[in-house]
Order: sequence, then structure tokens, then C-alpha cells
Amino acid sequence: MDNPSAAATIKRQKTHIFLRGLISFFGFIGIVIVFSILTNGRIIRPDNLSLMFSQVYVLLIASMGVFLIMTVGGLDFSQGSILGLASIIFCWVSNYSIVLGVIAAVLAGAAMGAFNGFFHVKFKIASFIVTICTMYFFRGLCKYITTNGPVPASTNVMMLNETWFKLLLTGIMLLLGFIVWHFTRVGCDLRAIGAGETAARFSGSRPDLLKFLVFMVSGAITGFASFINVIKVGSITGTAGSQLETQILIALVLGGMPISGGAKARFPNIIIGTLTYCVLEMSLPMVFPIPATQQLVKGIIFLIVVALTIDHESLRVIK
Amino acid sequence: MHRINIVSESFLKFKTSKYFGFLVLVVMTLFFWGFFRLLSPSNFGTSRLVISYFQTSIQYAVGGCGLYFIVVMGLFDFSVGANIVLSSLVGVLLSRQFGYWGLIFGCLLCGTLIGAFNGILYSRLRIPSMIVTVGLMLILESVANYVVTLDKSGFPGKLSNSNILAFGHAPWNYLAAGIAFLLMVFLLRFTKTGTYCNAIGSDELVAKNMGVNVERYKFIGFVLLHFFVGIMALLTVSYGRGMLAVTGMSSMDRNFKPLMGTFFGVAFKKYGCPVTAIVLGEFIIIMIFNGLVALNVPTTINDFVTGAVLLTIVSLTNRGLKGSVVK
Amino acid sequence: MSDVILRSENLYKHFGITTAVNDVSLEFEKGEIHGLIGENGSGKSTFCSTLCGIYPISSGRFLLEGKELRVRSQVEANRHGVSIIVQEMGTLPGLTVAENIFLGEEDKFMHGVVKNTGAMNREAQRLLESYGFKHIIASKMIDNYSFEDRKLIEIIKATYFTPKIVVVDETTTALSQSGREELFTVMDRIKNGGNTVIFISHDLEEVIDHTDRISILRDGSLVGTVKSSETSADELKRLMVGRELTNRYYRTDYGQSVSDEIVLSVDNVSVPGEIQDISFRLHKGEILGIGGLSECGMHETGKAIFGASYGRKGSVTLKGGYEVKSIPGAIKHSIAYASKDRDTESVIIANSIRDNICLPSLADMSNHALLNNGKLDSFAKKFAELMSVKMTGIDQYVSALSGGNKQKVVLSRWLGKDSDILVLDSPTRGIDVKVKADIYALMSELKARGKSIIMISEELQELLGMSDRILIMKDGRINGEFIRNQNLGEKDLITKMV
Repeated sequence: MDNPSAAATIKRQKTHIFLRGLISFFGFIGIVIVFSILTNGRIIRPDNLSLMFSQVYVLLIASMGVFLIMTVGGLDFSQGSILGLASIIFCWVSNYSIVLGVIAAVLAGAAMGAFNGFFHVKFKIASFIVTICTMYFFRGLCKYITTNGPVPASTNVMMLNETWFKLLLTGIMLLLGFIVWHFTRVGCDLRAIGAGETAARFSGSRPDLLKFLVFMVSGAITGFASFINVIKVGSITGTAGSQLETQILIALVLGGMPISGGAKARFPNIIIGTLTYCVLEMSLPMVFPIPATQQLVKGIIFLIVVALTIDHESLRVIK
Repeated sequence: MHRINIVSESFLKFKTSKYFGFLVLVVMTLFFWGFFRLLSPSNFGTSRLVISYFQTSIQYAVGGCGLYFIVVMGLFDFSVGANIVLSSLVGVLLSRQFGYWGLIFGCLLCGTLIGAFNGILYSRLRIPSMIVTVGLMLILESVANYVVTLDKSGFPGKLSNSNILAFGHAPWNYLAAGIAFLLMVFLLRFTKTGTYCNAIGSDELVAKNMGVNVERYKFIGFVLLHFFVGIMALLTVSYGRGMLAVTGMSSMDRNFKPLMGTFFGVAFKKYGCPVTAIVLGEFIIIMIFNGLVALNVPTTINDFVTGAVLLTIVSLTNRGLKGSVVK
Repeated sequence: MSDVILRSENLYKHFGITTAVNDVSLEFEKGEIHGLIGENGSGKSTFCSTLCGIYPISSGRFLLEGKELRVRSQVEANRHGVSIIVQEMGTLPGLTVAENIFLGEEDKFMHGVVKNTGAMNREAQRLLESYGFKHIIASKMIDNYSFEDRKLIEIIKATYFTPKIVVVDETTTALSQSGREELFTVMDRIKNGGNTVIFISHDLEEVIDHTDRISILRDGSLVGTVKSSETSADELKRLMVGRELTNRYYRTDYGQSVSDEIVLSVDNVSVPGEIQDISFRLHKGEILGIGGLSECGMHETGKAIFGASYGRKGSVTLKGGYEVKSIPGAIKHSIAYASKDRDTESVIIANSIRDNICLPSLADMSNHALLNNGKLDSFAKKFAELMSVKMTGIDQYVSALSGGNKQKVVLSRWLGKDSDILVLDSPTRGIDVKVKADIYALMSELKARGKSIIMISEELQELLGMSDRILIMKDGRINGEFIRNQNLGEKDLITKMV
């Protein structure tokens, strides 16, 4: 071999990728076991399980969108605000027709995502800065609209609040996402752009177009998630969806998603991460009754997981 | 012909000097004041109100100064808001026993320690600053809640004793802010810190080769940031006569008003007057908010304005180069 | 009693398998301006970079005034009295002129933690005036000044502390006539002060005019040292080249005619600041070489053809009339490109061999927009094996491969796409002999199959050995054209290059 240390590097890389995939999975199992013991088995009781699952749908779907953004190396802090505003639009239109409401919410989400994508790509502003600004921008609209009171959805909507229905919708979304990710060139291109944008460009990918699309699609996906959100809550207040973006970030990180995206991103990151997060969210209050302690533990776990899963090879200068 | 050349040459010289930057800021301030004054003369822009706007804005300007060190180096810190909460509460707690000294030292010392903590974690864990400070925010918010439980006064978190509210009004708030601004100017112009932070932000690898100890100055940047935030906490807790501990990442909201001033400072860096830009920038932003309120726009539109203003400033100042990779 | 101030003893510098500096033992005297010349890749810049702490030495040593000198950063080199004015930008935007000049050396203005900015600015202004650059104000931000002015400031930064040795690395190319005059004045002043300048330049007349002695490097080795007053530009050119044409792995055919069929037309292509008015034709089955000095614009020409330039004017047209305007369009119409900057622009390092090979061909392989991963795997495998890429499997990350194998991955990607026109920029740079031979053999095979190749290279041997026709570029324009023949030699090419 030309490079004598290549054998060692290859072996290390293979184990690294293998472990990375496993860490999150075993992490999930580990957390379930640990907290089952700590709560004397309460968390695996059926009623608690279904309570946990009721939180999972919105997070799962919205995380899928952000997963795409993070694969190309971007970040999105405006997800919660997009969810809030799209939920409001759904509520309004649902009074005429629920199906139209869903379409309206998806379109609204897409428009907001496109707004993000435009500023990011056209003005070359870092995605986290753009989305922090738009987080306030959209949130402000949300709060303004609900100044005089929450916006209710049509009463028919509440009737859809069946577990099987939500599960079905979520499953379909995930399946679609998986197919696009794994079986179309979009997935390949996104990973390539995240791993090396310039070289991807020289191989025929269109980074600018794809980055714009990814923000728009992510917005649309979150728009769809807002439908499920409204089914659950029935009416929207000004703080709908707040902190969703940070929840998504924490969930994806727990699922082993590399922060800078790229080729090591794997679709299961979304599912494992979200489930882990939900288990934590549900278990922590049972073990540590004080909200502050729950948060402390969450923060520490987050830092530990990020430190373990960060891909140092692709970050030359750490900012 | 010759005379035109002299005029255009001296204009060019002026255009790049600090006086030009200063002039632009002053013109912007007057413009916004004039705009809202015209639209709503009865409840905006009287001299009394203008003073109150300024007093409100200086607390954010102090935080903006601290954030400047970090942002100029290309880093970011989401735990600024959590620091404000925690340092305020520590200050309140210590003030029960030690009066003013407790308040001042509590805020400042707590701030500095948080800065050191953040700096160490950032360099040890080798995670991007943005991500690591999200985790730190969670932790600091929780710690703030513990601190509240230590306050056995019956009014946890409240500065109920009116003897120690001096920093909530003139001249003490001006004094505290003024000291902060002077310190900032001193650090930027009369120490190596200002030079090296700019150098690191410009090109970290070249700076390293020139002998700049990048690790050390990033650490110093974090400590300075949170020290200034400690001063901001002193002002905030005095203005608000107390502080509430929060959870659920609500402290994030406090991050962004100071940040807007920082963006102004970075935009005017090339004119050599960043501190003035931060102070006047925050003043302009507070005026915009109050102007909208005076026009009977509901306060819920605040966030919308924050986002729009931030986005505009950033679009105008923060362009990437063609062909560069921006994430 | 020796006039020698600096000596290098058996200095070697390796980058992986490439030897950039090969056993150089050279002496520099006090009070002389010593020219250092050679073509691209001769090692002159690398030699000086090891002296100044930019790169570590592989073996051998430098002796400064009899004592060994081994430094690890430019600042450390400065402390020993050795400084360099680099080719690229050596100053930092966002700082003032004075801050740039004294970066890393502020201690003499410090009282404890406090920096006496006023004194620093005054001192900087005094220096600016003593150098004759009165129009630059020390307290202003350096961003306000042109590239040339920033270079002048860099000159001060490198020389104000009267260093014993100053390396001037290709600085004159960035300066106007008056800027050069300023630089030569400074250089003379250093010499008259009893110190030494090492002057690197491609402008042979300039080197002869302003130096006392000239050393010539070739392929990393020292060819010889001559007195400037006793030599001529022609003799220098002869010394710069003059090696045998080893055609062990190049083509051995001569006199083969090339088809008249034109597959690519380049008309009046310009990229502002890089290339001007480039026009030529590429024929089917032709290997067209493009050569010149590193900054002549040949690399930009390659990018322009591929549709990768920003602000390109003029047209690049294919047979059949399609005009190339963007990279996806170029790829779709069967143009391939291998960049000189392999790691950033050709391969995606943090990705698998499989993804790298398949990426441009994905559109062809998906039916109904769906991909068959098994098909992708076998596709990648087939072409990786065709190129004999040394790997553990197609899922291996490219980062673990050697330079030669990375290049093989790039080539297998385009073989997979079956591109008809290949633009190869520095295809064998940094690659060992065995893989070089493989790549040349591949080029001959592609030519035989009717593919057309544009080979951009800084290695004259390669151009002479492989091309049917060679275009030489200088200062952004085409300056000469040569047809393949046995008597063509490097000095013919060099006359058009420098």
C-alpha cells in the first residue's frame, strides 16, 4: 500500500462509523433501561407509553425536515415559529375544509422555508443567523395575530384525534422521506454537498438550488406537522411551537446526527433521536420532580453526546 | 480640474475616517427620531421620553459590547440570556447580606466565572461554540433555579429593599454603563486583546502563524463577554427590581437585543467606532420599538420588528464572497 | 574569516512521497542580493519557506552565522533576524496599518497590560515616512488600502527590524512599476547595511539587474550559482532546464496526424483579472497541452471551459452548437474536469469512494427518478477496479487514500460517465512514478478511442511527452503554440513562458 498507516486509518474509520450508528441505538436502549429501573417500571406501562407517543408525532415529522437541512450543514432555528404560523393558517382554513386547510398549511410552511432559503442562498448569510432573525419575524406575526385571543380550529378537527390516524400520517411521511433519501439522487446530492460543497459542485450538483429547496421543503414538512399539532391541541396561542427548534436539535443530536452533516448522516438518526428525546422528556419528571433538575440533566446529557459524536475530521477550524 | 480632484480626494479621505461612520450613525438616529415624532408627536420623542429610551437602551448596549468580542472572532454564545438571569439572582442573593457590595460583586463575579466556565468547556470539548452554548444555557438556567431556593428572604429574587435600587436610575445607571463603555474602548484600543480578537476573526490560521495564541484569546473573549453581561445583569435587575428564574429555554429571548447592537458594532468596525455604533444602534432600536407602541401597534408585534431589523442589518453588512461556502 | 552569513547543509523537504527540496547545500554572503530562480516546482519557494518557519525541515540544516537555525513559526524566525515577504496576502484585514506592522511584537509598546497605541501609531508613521510611503496613514484600517499598498506595508513589516536575511518571494509580480522601484530601493538599503536579500522572481532581466549572484534550482536540486554580471538571460534559461527527455512512460509516437474534426471551440474567453481573449480549437482524439508559469492563467482557462468561472465572457462551444455555461450543462454534454486542487474541488474527502464515483452519473442511472443501490455499487466497483484503485472496498472514505489513488478515483468517475472531452489540470501532481505511468497509459488509450483531452500542466516534461499540440500562456493570454515533434525541447517552451 502506498500509505503504510492507511490500514490503521481504514480500520479506525470503519469502527468509527459502526460505533456511531450503534452509540445512539444503544444509548436509546440504555436510557430506556436506566429510567425503567429508576421509575420502577412506570415508563413502560401502556398508559405512559401512549402518553409519550402522543408527543412524538409532531417532533418526528418536523425533525425529518431539519434533518435534511442539517445534512447540508445548515441549521434552522425558526422551526417553532413556522409551526405556530402554519398552525394558525390551518385553523383559519379548516373552517371551510380540512383538506384545504392542510394544503394551506403546507404551502404556508413552504413559503416561510423559501424565505429562509432565499436569504441564506442569495445573500450568503449563515443559515443560523437567517433563521434566528426569521424566528423572531414569524413568531412576531404569530403573537400579533393571537393578540386578542387564541385562534380556534373548526370543531371537526378534534374528531381526527385518533392515535391510529396520527400514526398513519406520521408513518406515511417518514416512508416518503426515507424513499426520497435513500432511493433518489437528492439524498446523494445532499450528503455530497454537506461533505464537500465545492467538490460536489464540480461533480455536477447544484448546491445553491438544493440548499434553497431543502429549506423550502423543510418548511412544507413542518407545515404538515402543524396539522397534527392542531389535531391535538385544538386551538393556537401565540406561543405555539415555541422551543420546537431546540427540541429538534437536541433530538437529532441524541440520535447520532453529526452537527456538520455530510456523508455520515443516516435516516435512523431521526427516529432513534426523537424516541430517545421523548423517553427522556417523560422519564425525567418521574425521577427528578424539580423541573430545574430535569433541565440540568438534559443539558449535561446533550453536551456529553455531542462531544462523543462530533466528527472532528470534517471540521478544520472550530468556530 | 485640480480643485475638483482635491475636493474628491479629501471627501474620499473623509469617507473612510471615523467621523464619517459617526456622522452616519447620528443621521440615522435623528432620522428615526424625526420619523416617529412626526407621526405621533404627543406620546413619542419628548425630551423626557428620549431620556427614558436612552436609559433603557444602555443596558442592552453593555451586553452588546461583551458579545462583540465573541462575534468578531466568528464565535457565538447562546447562554447570554441565562447568564443575565443567573448573575442577577446571585447578585440579589448576596445583596441580602452585603447590600450594594453584594449586588455588584455578585453580578460581576458570577458573570466572570460563567465566562471562564464556558471558555474552558469550549476548548476542552472542541465543539462549535454555537452548539456548546446551547447545552450551557440549559445548565445555567437550572442552576439559576437552585440559586432562587437559597434566597430565604420571603421574596426570592426581588430587590425589595429600596436602598439598593440606585442602579435602576440616574446617575448610577449612567455610571455603570459609562464605565463599561470606557472599559470597552480601552480594551479595543489600548490592549492586545482588541487587536488579536480582530486578527483571529480575520484569518485564524494566519494569526496563529504570526504568533497569536488563539486558544488563549478565545478563552479571554468568553470571559470578557460574560463579565460585560454581568454588568448588564446589574442594570437589568435594578431596572426590573428583581429577576425571575426560568426554565424551558425562555432565557434565549434575552440574547437578541444585545446582539442587535453587536451587529451594528461589527458593521461599523471598519470606521473604527464600534462602541459608538453599539450604543447608538441600541438606542435606535429602542426608539423603533417605542415608536411603534406610540402608534398603537400592539406590543406583540415586537418580535416581528426585532426579526425584521436584525435581518435587514445582517443583509446589508454580512455578505459572503462569490464562490465561498456558507453554511 | 568568512563572508558567509547563511548556509544550508544537505537540506531535504518531503511532502508525502514528493521530494520538493533535494539535498540543497547553498551559501549566502553578507551584504549581497542573491537571486533564486527555477521553473515551477523547482523548490525555490519551499526552500525559503523551510528557512522562515512556514514548513518544518525534513532533514539537513540551516546555519545562520555558524549556529544552527530551526524555527517553527514566522514570528520565531523574525526573532532570529530572518523574515519573508510572501507571495499571497500577508496582512490581515480588520486591523490598522500599525497593528499589522507590529502584530506579534507589541511588547515594546506595552506597559503591563496597557498598550500605548499612540506611541505605536507614531512609530509606525515614522517608519512609513522613512521608507518613503508617506501616503499611508498608520492609524487607519488596512482595509482602506489597495493590494499594492498592503504589499508595501508588508515590506515594512518584514524589514523594519533590520533582519539579517530577507526573502522576497515573487513579490514584484504584484507590484506596479513604481512599487517595484520602492522595493528595489529597500533591497539596496538592506544590502548596503551589510545584510542579505534572497530574491525570487521569474523575471530574468530583473533578477540579472538587481542581484549580485544567482542560484538556479531544478527539480529540487541545486544546479549552480553564477555571478549576475557575468551571465545572460539565455544562459539562465539553459541552466533552468537542460534535462533529458525521459520518455519511459510518455508516448513514443511522433508524426501522427490529428483529426480535423473540431469538438470544442473556445472564442475570446475572458475572466476579469485572470485571462484575456483566449481562443483555440480542440480536435477529436487530440491531446492538447496548456503550459506556462503558475500564474499565467492556464488553471483559470480549464475552469472557464468547464463552466466553473464567475463572470466569464466569450463562448465555449461544442460540436453541434451547445454553448457551455454551467457545470451541470458541461457534464451533461460529456465534458469532464479534474482540478489541480484535488482535495477541495475534485474529490469529496469526507465521503465514500462509491459516492464519489457515482455522483455525476446518477442522472443516467435512475429510471423513474429511483435509484437502485445495488446497481450503484456494481457501477462504482467496476470502474474503481478498472483504474486499479488501491482500496479496502468502495465504502472506504476517500480521505484514507494516497494522492495517486485519489486521482484514480477522480478518473474512474469520468470513465464511468464516459465523457468525450476531458480537461485534466495537473493530473500527475504529487503522484508517484508508478501511478503516473498508469495515468499516461490511460490518456493514450482514451486518445485511441477517440476521446479528446486538454492537459494543463506545470511540468514541461509531461507536456512535451504527451501532447499533440502545446499552447503556452503568459500573463493571461496565449503566447505560443507548438506542434509535437521530437526536436521540441523545454527551452523552446520557456522562451514563451517567461
